[in-house]
Amino acid sequence: MRSSEGIPGGAARPTRRARRRIPDWLYGLGTVAALLALWEFASVQGWLGTHQLPPPSKLAGTFQQLLERGFPRGLTADVHIWATLWRIIRGYALATTLALPLGILIGASPLLDRATAPVITFARSVATISLLPLAVAWFGVGEETRIFLITYACFWIILTSVVDAVKGVPAVYIRAAETLGASRRQIFFQVMLPASLPRIFAGMRVALGVAFLVIVAVEMIGTVTGLGALIMEARTFYRSDIAVVGMIFIAIIGFAIAKVLDIAERLLLPWASSLDEVQR
Amino acid sequence: MNAQRWQHGLWVSWLGVIVVLIVWQAVNSFEIVNPRIFPGPVSVLETALTRFPLETLLGHISASLMRVAAGFALGAGLGITLGILAGWYRIFGKMLWGPIEILRPIPPLAWIPIALIWFGLGESSKIFIIFLGAFFPIITNTYKGMATIDPMLIRAAQTMGVRGLKMLAQIAIPAALPDIAIGIRVGWSLSFGSLVAAEILAAQEGLGYMIMYARELGEINVIVYGIILIGVLNLATDFLIYEFLFKRRLRWHFGQR
Repeated sequence: MRSSEGIPGGAARPTRRARRRIPDWLYGLGTVAALLALWEFASVQGWLGTHQLPPPSKLAGTFQQLLERGFPRGLTADVHIWATLWRIIRGYALATTLALPLGILIGASPLLDRATAPVITFARSVATISLLPLAVAWFGVGEETRIFLITYACFWIILTSVVDAVKGVPAVYIRAAETLGASRRQIFFQVMLPASLPRIFAGMRVALGVAFLVIVAVEMIGTVTGLGALIMEARTFYRSDIAVVGMIFIAIIGFAIAKVLDIAERLLLPWASSLDEVQR
Repeated sequence: MNAQRWQHGLWVSWLGVIVVLIVWQAVNSFEIVNPRIFPGPVSVLETALTRFPLETLLGHISASLMRVAAGFALGAGLGITLGILAGWYRIFGKMLWGPIEILRPIPPLAWIPIALIWFGLGESSKIFIIFLGAFFPIITNTYKGMATIDPMLIRAAQTMGVRGLKMLAQIAIPAALPDIAIGIRVGWSLSFGSLVAAEILAAQEGLGYMIMYARELGEINVIVYGIILIGVLNLATDFLIYEFLFKRRLRWHFGQR
């Protein structure tokens, strides 16, 4: 079961089949529409402070303003989005490059695994955001700080998943391959790697989500580009409409990242889904 | 098998920690990196022992813990309640899932600016962020637990005449508990991460504030000390959750691994 993705519509109770199936998403959409209408109505009636929570109708204008003129001026929405994504890509790629070989090495050696386990556990527990002051002292308030923090957050998650994945390859697989006369190289590339990839991928997917979480917070300090900077600037100028639209962008990007990974996993690792069942 | 048993000795684990500490100190002692921005473990320990009387330290720790406990309790309470209701009343679940799916991809920390607009710099904005950190993973996992209950359990109970709220309380919720527990663990770690960020961005007390203030004064030792403290606190609380919830209460589910 993938825990982070959509919830299956399984029944808690065996219910009688609905006469005409109304698709599940229609209920959700209906609620959202109703809430938006209520929000608009409350704003028009003056129950909600428009400065705290601008009505949806005003947000449409803000949306357009953000795409055309940008905020702060000149920095349009696509500039912010690309700034954020580009930071994530660099930090994530760096973390993956470092964690993959190291994780395979640790996972393949029980001794090394024992020796590194406490250090890895602790490093994982360190809140990435708490490293911000230290990173600023080391790298200044530039791009390096932001990329360092993404790398740190992703590195330990990916490393742990690689170690676990390599350790989790059933010994039977390897012994079977040995009996069949496979070379070490063949065992590594044709048995170990395919068998561990689904779990590695699961870790990489969690890491990407965390990267997004970290970068949005880190961008709130010391920069004007990026989605985190956009919403923090909006607060400085008390432009709650821009903050809300910025959050909508963040939600869309976050959703898109998860979806892209979903599709990538299905295309690259068609054998992974059967393993999901085993893990549960 | 014998070789493996030998490797299971605890000393190997400690060896790793000791090697890291020695390398860390060596980098500092041989000034491979400017020691003013890269303090060694010895000087950090010195700072920890001399600069922070127990009282100040406990003040920061309890301020942080109170905050995270308040936000987490709200998030867990609401998340579990709504998750159970959504799983039990199908129509309500389908309706609720619209707004939840839309809000879920927004990281809790992205709410900081709007929370500051709504609640100001006070305590409530921080508790709100922590609340969000706990709420989403807990409601998602609770709902998932409720939606994936083995139908056999329900039918078996039905044949024995269990129905209504009794079914919910005695069959459905216990069956969903393992998933709720997973939600609680994930939610706690997200709450904790959000706490630090909220304190770094706006607070007058707490561990996040302690390290941000140290940065303004340029006291790297204090920053490193604070980072380690936050890590230890995170690790310790997660361990407690794991011990009590997973190994004691839910032994029947998680125990036999």
